[in-house]
Amino acid sequence: MILPIGPIHPSLKEPLRLKLKTRGEKVLTAEIDYGYVHRGIERIMKGKTWQKGIYLSERVCGICSYIHTQTFAETFERIAGERAPLRAQFLRVLTNELDRIQSHLLANSTYFKALEHETLFMYMLYLREPVMDAIELLTGNRVNMGWNVVGGVRMDVNQSHLDSIMKILLKLESEYDRYVEMFEHGPLVGLRSHDVGKLSRDDAIKARAVGPIGRASGLKHDLRENHHTYRDNLDLKVIWRKEGDNFARTMNRFDEITQSINLIKEVIANLPEGDIRKKIDIPAGYGDWRNEAPRGEVSYFIETNGNLIKDVSIRTPSIMNIDACAKYMLNDVATVADAIATYASVDPCIACTERVIIVDESGKSQEFDYPNYPKKNK
Amino acid sequence: MLDALKDVIRKSSIHVCLINTGGCNGCDIEVVALLSPRYDLEQYGIYVHNNPREADVILVAGAVTEQWREKLQRIYSKVPEPKIVVAIGNCPLSGDVFNQEGSSVYAPVSDFIPVDAEVSGCPPRPSEILAAILAVGPDAIAARGRQKV
Repeated sequence: MILPIGPIHPSLKEPLRLKLKTRGEKVLTAEIDYGYVHRGIERIMKGKTWQKGIYLSERVCGICSYIHTQTFAETFERIAGERAPLRAQFLRVLTNELDRIQSHLLANSTYFKALEHETLFMYMLYLREPVMDAIELLTGNRVNMGWNVVGGVRMDVNQSHLDSIMKILLKLESEYDRYVEMFEHGPLVGLRSHDVGKLSRDDAIKARAVGPIGRASGLKHDLRENHHTYRDNLDLKVIWRKEGDNFARTMNRFDEITQSINLIKEVIANLPEGDIRKKIDIPAGYGDWRNEAPRGEVSYFIETNGNLIKDVSIRTPSIMNIDACAKYMLNDVATVADAIATYASVDPCIACTERVIIVDESGKSQEFDYPNYPKKNK
Repeated sequence: MLDALKDVIRKSSIHVCLINTGGCNGCDIEVVALLSPRYDLEQYGIYVHNNPREADVILVAGAVTEQWREKLQRIYSKVPEPKIVVAIGNCPLSGDVFNQEGSSVYAPVSDFIPVDAEVSGCPPRPSEILAAILAVGPDAIAARGRQKV
């Protein structure tokens, strides 16, 4: 029997259609339909200046909106062959890690909601709100921050704000362990999570799984290791696990939150003085840049004529992770409830994934160029 | 007497269905933030369950994309009377940054279904969304419920 879930369904936060092939309560295979939030961002971005493009890049995804602007700005900095001032780089790390904390807390809360563990769901949201306050204090907005510009960041931060952020983080750190322990050693939550939704290392490589999903399956891959700010100034060890089940993915996110808290402490302690922005003259050219978003690797490929964006392509992590989930994790799942929990543990972000690419049989891919795309009905 | 009793009950139990018709999901996570203990949506009798067949209030977030043009109307017709629609964020009002030449969005939402309340912002703060639901929700549901009876 085919069990369709979505696009609007109590268990889904975003529109997507899951088709589960079931026999009784057992899920045999799964198929996923996209296309509900395709807005054509890459197409709109063409022929615009970066000042307009950066707003669009921020709205590719609402949960990891920060990292898109950073990658967009750093792509242009790479085309120009320059880097932002060191203080701006540190402030970018600070915001990025705050964003990572709130995104991971949200992802884990969604997983607990899918397990119907309302208590931990509420606790995760309770921990998340102060982090949103810290982001608002730093950048002036909760979700779409508009914090990055090409060549630096938009505004400076003063010491009293840093102190408040530090206070929020210390409070988070003191309360946080209790909830992690509830999940790690709780017998019921553990039973529902161990050995469910397994993704082996080989399958993770085949499916190009990235981020916490790949790392929980034994792929030791974190782009922050290679990013110049982290590599030269900060102490970062890649967190990874071997099990590859729902438990490992959730715990990997919890461990990364601890790591992010430590990174922010390091940034606040070593924040250098200086400019936060410098003027960069952009030449004509092509550049690409990759960064570690909360969900994995986000890449931007931009071609510019010095003023306008000629061509842009965005690759986001969720598309690989959702495909890994559909193809490898949702095979022979014991119950439908486990299938939903596995799907939630992948931390799917649908708004990111909507791109149109046609891959023909020879393996050559090309962007869909809207041959007979319907005109607006106005 | 019976109407008055129904009014009281309708006002204190509002079921909400959230539909993302093609936004950046920034508004979606602000609705999730409403569930948190700080805002505590359920103390007002509001319950978010994303099931259109039980909903009283539809929250629409997002400019309308190609796929949603017909589905949005179909979902709207599935929601039982009395029903109200709250558009949250700039996308359902104007299409926000997506409503430019070459895009595939069909904003505003009011072209497709009637909208009762509009909250602007990209995204609006959780407290604003809550205020909008409470401002139009209880009274309109009660009043429209009486019309049908």
